[in-house]
Amino acid sequence: MEALKLDGVVKQFGEKTAVNRISLSVEPGEIYGLLGANGAGKTTTMRMVLGLIYPDDGKILYSGKAFNSELQQIMGYLPEERGLYPKVKVSDQIIYLARLRGMSSSDADKSLRYWLDRFDVPDYYNKKVEELSKGNQQKMGFIAAVVHKPRLLILDEAFSGLDPVNVELLKDTVRELRDQGTSILFSTHRMEHVEELCRHITIMDRSNTVVQGDIREIKKGYPREEVLLRTSSEVSGLETLPGVTGVQRQERGYLLTISEIAAAQRILQQAVGQSEVEHFEIKEPTLNQIFIKVVGGESNE
Amino acid sequence: MNKMGTIIGFTFKNKVKTKSFMITTLVLVLLLSIGMNIPYLIKVFQGDDEASAGIHVAVVAAEGSRASELLKNYASGVTTEGGATVDQYTSAEDSALKTSLDEGTLDGYIQLGAESETGLPPVTFYSPDGDMDAEVQTFLQLGLQQANAQLIAGDKLTPEQIGAMNAPVQLDTKQISTDGTAVTDEEKDEAPIINYVIVYALLMMFFMSIMMTGNMIAAEVTSEKSSRIMEILITSASPLAQMFGKVIGIFLIGMLQIAIIAAAVAANLMLPHNASILTDFDLDLGQLNVNLLIYGLVLYVLGYFLYALIYAAIGSIVSRTEDLGQAVMPITMLGLVTFYIPLFSISNADTLVVKVASYIPFTSPLSMLLRIGVGDVAFWEILVSLLILLVSIFVFGWLAAKIYRTGVLMYGKRPTIKEIRKAMKAYKI
Ligand SMILES: Nc1ncnc2c1ncn2[C@@H]1O[C@H](COP(=O)(O)OP(=O)(O)OP(=O)(O)O)[C@@H](O)[C@H]1O
Ligand SMILES: [Mg+2]
Repeated sequence: MEALKLDGVVKQFGEKTAVNRISLSVEPGEIYGLLGANGAGKTTTMRMVLGLIYPDDGKILYSGKAFNSELQQIMGYLPEERGLYPKVKVSDQIIYLARLRGMSSSDADKSLRYWLDRFDVPDYYNKKVEELSKGNQQKMGFIAAVVHKPRLLILDEAFSGLDPVNVELLKDTVRELRDQGTSILFSTHRMEHVEELCRHITIMDRSNTVVQGDIREIKKGYPREEVLLRTSSEVSGLETLPGVTGVQRQERGYLLTISEIAAAQRILQQAVGQSEVEHFEIKEPTLNQIFIKVVGGESNE
Repeated sequence: MNKMGTIIGFTFKNKVKTKSFMITTLVLVLLLSIGMNIPYLIKVFQGDDEASAGIHVAVVAAEGSRASELLKNYASGVTTEGGATVDQYTSAEDSALKTSLDEGTLDGYIQLGAESETGLPPVTFYSPDGDMDAEVQTFLQLGLQQANAQLIAGDKLTPEQIGAMNAPVQLDTKQISTDGTAVTDEEKDEAPIINYVIVYALLMMFFMSIMMTGNMIAAEVTSEKSSRIMEILITSASPLAQMFGKVIGIFLIGMLQIAIIAAAVAANLMLPHNASILTDFDLDLGQLNVNLLIYGLVLYVLGYFLYALIYAAIGSIVSRTEDLGQAVMPITMLGLVTFYIPLFSISNADTLVVKVASYIPFTSPLSMLLRIGVGDVAFWEILVSLLILLVSIFVFGWLAAKIYRTGVLMYGKRPTIKEIRKAMKAYKI
């Protein structure tokens, strides 16, 4: 059974529809990506999942059950605007939050120390949050979200503001949590993270669901439009081939855009005739390209 | 309610450690200690000689002067601190008199002329600075008056009878009740002075404590909201548990502060040099009404909760700490009214205003305290007032919880009442 299932969920703020009939389901041990432009309704959707605000229509089910207070123990949340007490010691507040979520003090303390070690910052235990840098505050926020070993984890733009090393660290952690069976609903603006972590995604645009499903399936649905070609010497006449819409010279080869897949064969033949082909690839569209296509095509707010 | 305990503990622990709590408590204790020691300090700074040496005057009169004898007699009966001493000299040129005056051990002297059947002739007081201080004046006036009476009456009256003659006549007033009979004594029973002192002190302390803790709660809620930790908190524990946890946690802070202040007052009263203050002001701790203190505590607790809940609700609808001051203005005003009604009525606790105020929730805790302490109040009246207060706490508690649940997630501009009402309908507490 799905760990989390949204069915036709709607949220309106006054006249404005923030989320319009979104349906999605997250399996146990899955990282589900929620994508969309600014103001698309990702945070609003997450807040409804958390029970912070109530949907105007539709249903949200947690392992088949409606929202109930037991969920407080099994949900973890990293808000998009990181929330921690600025003037309270890291250990005091994280243990407090863990206890509110039903952990005992000693378990919470053990878990907190584990996570601090894991992030290589054991000395933050006694620091006040306001003394930490923004990125490190965010790590503490992440620890606050996972310290009680939640089964359903909601991460709203978890990686924003982190340096590449910490992003990798966090990605590994998220994968590890997934492998332990945690279901994760995850929003981000960085498509490469989604490609690495998620199998299923939903792209929202101005409150509507515009693309949804398995990432590989989604990609198959979009035409392959780029060819990467590397040869030992120059190839001429590529731009005159039918179906080729653009040729871009790169350091060691060409990046070509094509309007039909048959053009790729013509490029290969042209190249083989003139030189030795070192590398030939018909590139899959990236999620980034798909996103820009579906969201950025029309004018945005 | 395991979570509520956790919230209470966390709130208490964090607030106790704040500088503002420590500093206000320390300042209050210091001010009180200084205030209570002012009478003693004045004494110390004025110097011991003047204050404790008592009255010391000389009489210049002929050997065997009767008036002089009578004055000496009177002096021996004076009981004020230091007593009174009267020396007799036959001449104002006496060298012993001169040296005493020069050394300042003598306040001054009077010259008595010949005495006759018609009493004393006018008396003049000579002193180095030409002044007569109040103590000496009272002493001489009374002493000479008695001497004069004794001289005129001769042996016909004993000194006791003379003393009784000079005692002021007691003049009492009594109100006539509507049916024409005099009001019986019991009903008009004046509260002991100590009650006034206690009521005054409790009014001050409760008002300050409720305002301080109330603002603490509102600030705490607003800061949780503006730091967005509220979103995590709301998903971890019910808003009701959070609000009451905070209110109770800060209640403990208020009680701790009151306990510290009470301990400081007690310690100051215990100081040996302050023991006389109580007697000087005619205060008898034995008269201390334990009932008054118990009622005071109950009223404080109920009053605290009523105000605290409203402060929590206000804190929840404000998004930024800067806007908080303006938002709590109405409730602060109400607090001031609650405080000033009984404060201005302390000498006359049975006015209609106080009576009405003692039933209205918000104003009732302090006004009822005044009536219990120094007014006329029947037990059923106290009971009714407490009941109204208790019911209002439940009503406002429910309302505050609703507002809190709604308010904590409303960001941006301060929501209008209409917006809050609409949003409130959506949430179960
Ligand atoms: N409390 C609210 N009151 C009124 N409108 C709101 C409220 N919260 C969100 N909205 C509106 O709902 C829409 C969706 O907002 P939401 O925060 O869900 O976007 P988002 O996808 O998380 O955007 P971002 O990527 O910028 O975080 C926005 O247009 C926003 O203005
Ligand atoms: Mg968002």
